[in-house]
Amino acid sequence: MIQIENLTKTYRTGFFMHQKPALKGISLSVPRGMIYGFIGPNGAGKSTTIKILTGLLGADSGKVAIAGMPPKRPQTRKILGYCPEQPYFYDYLSGRELLSFYGRLVGLEGATLNARIQWALQTVHADKDWIDRRLRTYSKGMMQRVGLAQSILSKPELLILDEPMSGLDPMGRRDVREAILSLNQEGVTIFYSSHLLSDVESISERVAMIVDGKIVREGTVEEITESASTEYHVRTGQTLLEQDLPQNVVSTGHPQEWVCKDATSKDAFLSYCLSHNISIEKMENSRPSLEEVLTKEIARAES
Amino acid sequence: MLSLKNIAIIAWNTFRESVRDKILYNIVFLTIALAFFSIVLGEWSVFDRAHVIKSTTLSIMSLSGLLISVFVGISLVQKEIQRKTVLTLLSKPISRGTFILGKYLGLMGVVAVHLSILSAVYYSILFLTHSSPTLSLLQAIYLVFWELAIVVAIALLFSSFSTPVLSALFTLGVYFAGHLSGQLLEQVRFVQRMGEITGGMSTLLEKAAVVIHAVFPGLYRYNISAYVIHGVALPDNYLLWSSLYAIGYISVFLGIASWWFSRRDFL
Repeated sequence: MIQIENLTKTYRTGFFMHQKPALKGISLSVPRGMIYGFIGPNGAGKSTTIKILTGLLGADSGKVAIAGMPPKRPQTRKILGYCPEQPYFYDYLSGRELLSFYGRLVGLEGATLNARIQWALQTVHADKDWIDRRLRTYSKGMMQRVGLAQSILSKPELLILDEPMSGLDPMGRRDVREAILSLNQEGVTIFYSSHLLSDVESISERVAMIVDGKIVREGTVEEITESASTEYHVRTGQTLLEQDLPQNVVSTGHPQEWVCKDATSKDAFLSYCLSHNISIEKMENSRPSLEEVLTKEIARAES
Repeated sequence: MLSLKNIAIIAWNTFRESVRDKILYNIVFLTIALAFFSIVLGEWSVFDRAHVIKSTTLSIMSLSGLLISVFVGISLVQKEIQRKTVLTLLSKPISRGTFILGKYLGLMGVVAVHLSILSAVYYSILFLTHSSPTLSLLQAIYLVFWELAIVVAIALLFSSFSTPVLSALFTLGVYFAGHLSGQLLEQVRFVQRMGEITGGMSTLLEKAAVVIHAVFPGLYRYNISAYVIHGVALPDNYLLWSSLYAIGYISVFLGIASWWFSRRDFL
């Protein structure tokens, strides 16, 4: 559904037009029907990528295609729904008037338009009284729901959401998560960026991690966390001395409990136990969270 | 690709947005107040009262339209960009040209309503003061409308790539250049005929005046208050040619604005 190859984008800022590279040749591919998370720290290039995908920004070089079509073409955006980060709307309209305006822009009319507005409001849990109030009276959560509702009015094949859960309370986050899952069940491909990594871990089928304009990890959450260093906690039947053990096997402070820092040291430690007739009582591996992997990648990029 | 339906939807939304703008109401009320003040001016003036009222009110109409075109026109596009409403709008299947044209027609709707209200006020004043209201005055109002149509297109062109303050300055600059370019050319030719400047300098000045006259829209053509007030007949098809002239300039300005806007990045 989304194909990005070697995408670059540089901003020119200030009086002297200093160049600030935002994207340094990123590539990724999002298959049809997938929930795809796009994570990274502030200023990493998430919103830039999303704005290029929605045709709001032009790329310097590289290829971008949505269902095989360039995003700058209005026809491409017929199959696309987009909700920007902290959406801003015409605050002199009510939520329903705003949805009616956007609905007509995507070709809906009359009874079909009203039915679609109702469906969108129900999907994002916004079919409440406040929808007929002026938008200037809305809270951030209400605005976010209206933003999400306008993005799905056309029943898009691809939904691009920039930080859809930011600033929402736990109930709001749950509602947005449910909406994403239910739309995905209807066949909508979802590409979204988020800072809330626990949400990303719970709903994304694949994730791309962008740091300093480069994709540093890509895959399922399991693949990403497995590819990062995994520690193995081993409990032996006998007490051992740390100096006798292979490299990268360290004590937890207990003479029978050991931590192997990686798979190689784990294999070496198991071979050592086998050759010295040492029984293993328990072994578990602790995988880092997505947040830990991201933090390490940020630290690596900064260093 | 331009979609007429989407242009109409954006135009209607723009109209709705503009009529809720406080600046607009301030300008409209001030204009109506000034129009009534023209009665006082007519009484004070040593000239014919009816002529003073007619010419003052027509000038007020033109100036207030200019204020709306410049300030509301420029803020319309800039507000969309600054408030980031443009992000959601342009992610819909509409071209940037559709956006510009919709904004333009929406604001022209506001200008048309403004001129209609003022025309009603104008004719009421003329009736009240027994200042011989004639239908020919509508010709002058018709051309004020086309003049403002050009000014709105200029304002949209500048606001598609510049800041609000600079856009306002550029638009006013073109407005005044457009009003004075005819006079400038006449003056240069007059001075040449009188032999006050000769040789290379004379040719250079004439060429400069010709270029200015050709490039800037001749907005002075749209001020026919002297004709209608004094009952002088307009040349044949003057209104038709003036309308076509305006449509030509508007097409060029909006074409450039759309092209520029379509190259623009929205952060």
